[in-house]
Formats: sequence, structure tokens, C-alpha cells
Amino acid sequence: ASSFHEFARSTNDAWDINDEDDEDLLAPIHPSSLPSTLHSVHQVPPLPLQQPSDTTREPDTGPADRLAPPTAEEELRKHSWSGIPREVRPITWRLLSGYLPANMERRDLVLKRKRDEYFGFIEQYYHSRTDETYKDTYRQIHIDIPRTNPLIPLFQQPTVQEVFERILFIWAIRHPASGYVQGINDLVTPFFVVFLSEFVVEDVENFDVASLPLDTQRNIEADSFWCMTKLLDGIQDNYTFAQPGIQNNVKALEELVSRIDEDIHNYFKRYEVEYLQFAFRWMNNLLMRELPLRCTIRLWDTYQAEQEGFSHFHLYVCAAFLIEWRKEILSMVDFQGLLMLLQNLPTIHWGNEEVGLLLAEAYRLKYMFADAPNHYRR
Amino acid sequence: MAKQYDVLFRLLLLGDSGVGKTCLLCRFTDNEFHPSHISTIGVDFKMKTLEIDGIKVRIQIWDTAGQERYQTITKQYYRRAQGIFLVYDITSERSFQHIMKWASDVDEYAPDNIQRILIGNKSDEEEKRQVATGQGNKLAKDYGMDFFETSASTNYNITESFTRLAEQVLAANKKDLDLLRASVTDELNLAALEEEEGITDGAAASQKGCWC
Repeated sequence: ASSFHEFARSTNDAWDINDEDDEDLLAPIHPSSLPSTLHSVHQVPPLPLQQPSDTTREPDTGPADRLAPPTAEEELRKHSWSGIPREVRPITWRLLSGYLPANMERRDLVLKRKRDEYFGFIEQYYHSRTDETYKDTYRQIHIDIPRTNPLIPLFQQPTVQEVFERILFIWAIRHPASGYVQGINDLVTPFFVVFLSEFVVEDVENFDVASLPLDTQRNIEADSFWCMTKLLDGIQDNYTFAQPGIQNNVKALEELVSRIDEDIHNYFKRYEVEYLQFAFRWMNNLLMRELPLRCTIRLWDTYQAEQEGFSHFHLYVCAAFLIEWRKEILSMVDFQGLLMLLQNLPTIHWGNEEVGLLLAEAYRLKYMFADAPNHYRR
Repeated sequence: MAKQYDVLFRLLLLGDSGVGKTCLLCRFTDNEFHPSHISTIGVDFKMKTLEIDGIKVRIQIWDTAGQERYQTITKQYYRRAQGIFLVYDITSERSFQHIMKWASDVDEYAPDNIQRILIGNKSDEEEKRQVATGQGNKLAKDYGMDFFETSASTNYNITESFTRLAEQVLAANKKDLDLLRASVTDELNLAALEEEEGITDGAAASQKGCWC
């Protein structure tokens, strides 16, 4: 554990938002400079568009995009890595997911077009949920919605459950290669909660969504749909037939752990614990079942700030997460003890600090293996 | 260290999504019931120790996700099970129809001497019933299985059905059982044997008693 903290100290540049250079960039999005309500995203200028740009430009950008140098996005990613302030998280997530364009002049237009497009899908396809072709998909979604975060009152509201049904159904029929797979329902919740938080001052988990203006409700729904779609685009082979993405990731986790912590790896072997028995869910639900929702949201700040955060960096986070429980794991004396521990890790008290340390360790692992893929190879 | 159990085996819960597999298990192992239990992803694990005919039986119960997409994963667990619960929901004709599919998967992927039992869950929801008790009985008979209607909600027939499957697994492994009985009558002998073999912890002991 000591090396963990040492590393955190020695690599402050990766996440220290108090760095002097960072002050200017963070200034426009500092909570104190924000209007008290963010009823329109275009009021918030989070991107340092005035920064001098380098000469490279993103390919495939139209003339209007030239106002937004690639460095702006890089800066935003850099600052988001260590956690995004609550007040600017909604717009930052929209930007980082690639849903909202960096160019401010285009934002309103794009938002309107995408939101209209989503409700166009609803109008065109949602009634087909009772058709023979889609009724199995809808049935599965319908069974799972009341079972999504069942302990959080927000998700038991009929209005919210209907939103989730629409989002998941439309996504499923537009992605027939995977269709709806249990676990995808969980992936909507961080987006929904974050976009809802724009309109809720206090306790989001108990907020009555039906009390919001209908337009607002619809915007939250459409934005959640599109951001979830962007996320899933990057990890779709987790959910296609035989779930190859997950199987590969579980194998990769095993390989990684065998290199970084032989004790744990051998301990699992000795007691015949297979990685699939606990890590399948870690991959399928992106650790959402292992962490409180607030921690997942913080985790996703970083996942979205990372290139390939959900598809690649997650593996290192899983490895770091496993090693986090090293002491507990090595104190178990039989298979059942190990499985019970690994499937019910005690994270209930976890908050930003724990997630921050977890991410720091994951970053260290990734850095180590990205620079030297054969490092520690057995 | 006192030995916590004499034998260990694995049971598997199979059946469509939402029939109440996890709720059956929670009722059995923890005597708890949550009507909106979070959906199972992949395979979950629980265990409980029963005493049958003076033998301490530790059962590992693997609770599977019902959705079809997970079957590549869940089928990997079939071959190491000794007993299987085939679960449907009496308020869902569809889940009952699918029992045939689950049973044929078991035939294909599970060991030959696997013990099976048919469960019609949610028996408390009589007003929503779509599958008559007689239909369950008939299907069970056709497949040569025992049959229980259960309710995790009201705790009806839960212990009974788990115990029955455990007894069947014990009986099916009678040869091993007789060997075990002989050793149970002479605990000292068993302990001495374990020491001799350098077995000092539960996992190693479990290998000894595990038929897999």
C-alpha cells in the first residue's frame, strides 16, 4: 500500500488540479463562476477555445470546426482525468463522450437535431415493442427495469422507469448484433443521474422527476440515450454472441495479475478460483455492481477523459481493484470464502478518495505495461 | 481445526430470467426476500451447510443469469454440478415452455449422473397463475424428476426442495457415501488420515469430499 501512496505523490502532474497552469483553464468552469442554474448548456464555456492551437487539426472537420483546435479537447481530457466538479460534469460528459461538438456555435444546433432525432426514433419504433420480432427484447427490458438500482428511490419512479424502457428499447433494436443484454440497463444510470443533477440542487436519489418541465425531462432522456450509445459503440463486443470482449478482457486480467501479483494469482490457482467467476461481472457491468453509484460517476470522469477508457483502461482499473483487496484475499482459507469475498467486496463506504487512489494505481499499471508490454512477462 | 463439513457438492439454478432463482436462493441461505432483487449477471455464488442422515453436507449453489446471451458463460458451470434446479414461474407459461430447452441443455452439457428437480416458483401468486400444478407434475414425471411448487416470498417449500435435491445427490453418489460413512464413524481416523496427507485446511478437505 505504501508504494501506492508514494506513486500518487510522485505523479502529481497526472491529476493535481491545483497546478498553476491549470488555474486559467479551470477558471471558466470553476463552480464559483457559474450561474446558479445551468438551464442551457451553451451558457457554460468549459473549453479553452482561446488557447493557442498547434498546427495539427482533426481530420473530417468542417470549416466551422476550425475554431476548435484539438488541444482544447486534450486540455479538457487532462483536467477531467482527476475528477470533474459536479457543476460542470453534465456538459463536460456531453463533450467528452463526443456527443456535443467542441465548437460552441454548433452546440445548440446539434443538440436540437440529436434530441429531435431520438424522439423521431421513439415515434417511429417504440410502438413495435409489442410486435412478434421485438417482444422478447421488450420483455427482458421490462423485467430488468424495476431491478435497476432497486435500492435507490429515483429508479422506482414510474416516469423514470418509462424513460429507461424507451432508451433501452430504442438502443436494442438499433443494435441487432448485440441487442439488449442484462447489465446495459445499469450503464444508463450514471448518464441519467448526471444530466438530471443539472436541475436538482439537493438529493438526486430522491428527486421527483415528474415535477420537471416536460421539455427538460425529454432533453435528459435524449442526452442519456446518445451518451450511452457513444459509450456502447466502444465496447459492443462485450455484448455480442458469446461476449468475446468480456472473455478476452477476463483473460487479459488474469495475464496481468499473474505478472503484477504472483501471490494472488497462485492463491487463486491453489483454491481453484477462476477469474471468470468474479471478473465476468466486473467487465459486463464496468464495476458498477461492485461500487456505489457515486463512485461509478467519479470513475467515469476518468474513463471519458482517457482515450479508450471503457474498453481498455478499465482492465487496469480491474487489476488495481483486485490488488486493493490483497490482504483480505490472502487471509481467506477456502474456495467459498474467496468467492464470497470477491463477489461481495465491501465498498459501501467508498468515495472519491478511494476511487482516486484506485485510478492512480490503474494509471501506474497502464503506464508500466504500455511502455513495456513484456515487462514482468513470466 | 474442527472440520466444518463431511462432503461438498455443487448445485446449479437454471431457468428463464425473472422466475425467481436468486430469490429462492436468498430465502434458502439467508432467509431473506426482496421482491425487486437486482438481476444476476453471469453466475453468483452462495453456500449453506445441511445435515442429512448425520452427514454434514456443504452445498455450493451457483445462481445463473437467465438471459440467453449469458449461456456461453453459464454452460461452463454445468459440467461441474451434481444437482440442478430447473425453475419456472407459475405465472409465466413461457417460462414453463422453456423448461424443455433448459432440460436439453442439461442433457448436453452436464455429467450423466446429474440429479435434477423441477421447481414452479411464485406459488403465492395464485391469481396470476398460468401453469396448473398438474402440468408441472406431468412434466416432472415425463422427465423423471421430483417436483415442487415453491414461494420464495412466503417461504413455502424452500428448505424442502433444496433438501430433496441434496438427498438425491447424496443417494446418487452412494458408493462414495458409504466410504464416507465408514470414516465418519471414526472421526479420529479421518483426522489422522488428513494429517498424514498434510491436509490442514478446509479447501483441501473439500477436495477430499467433493465428487467432481
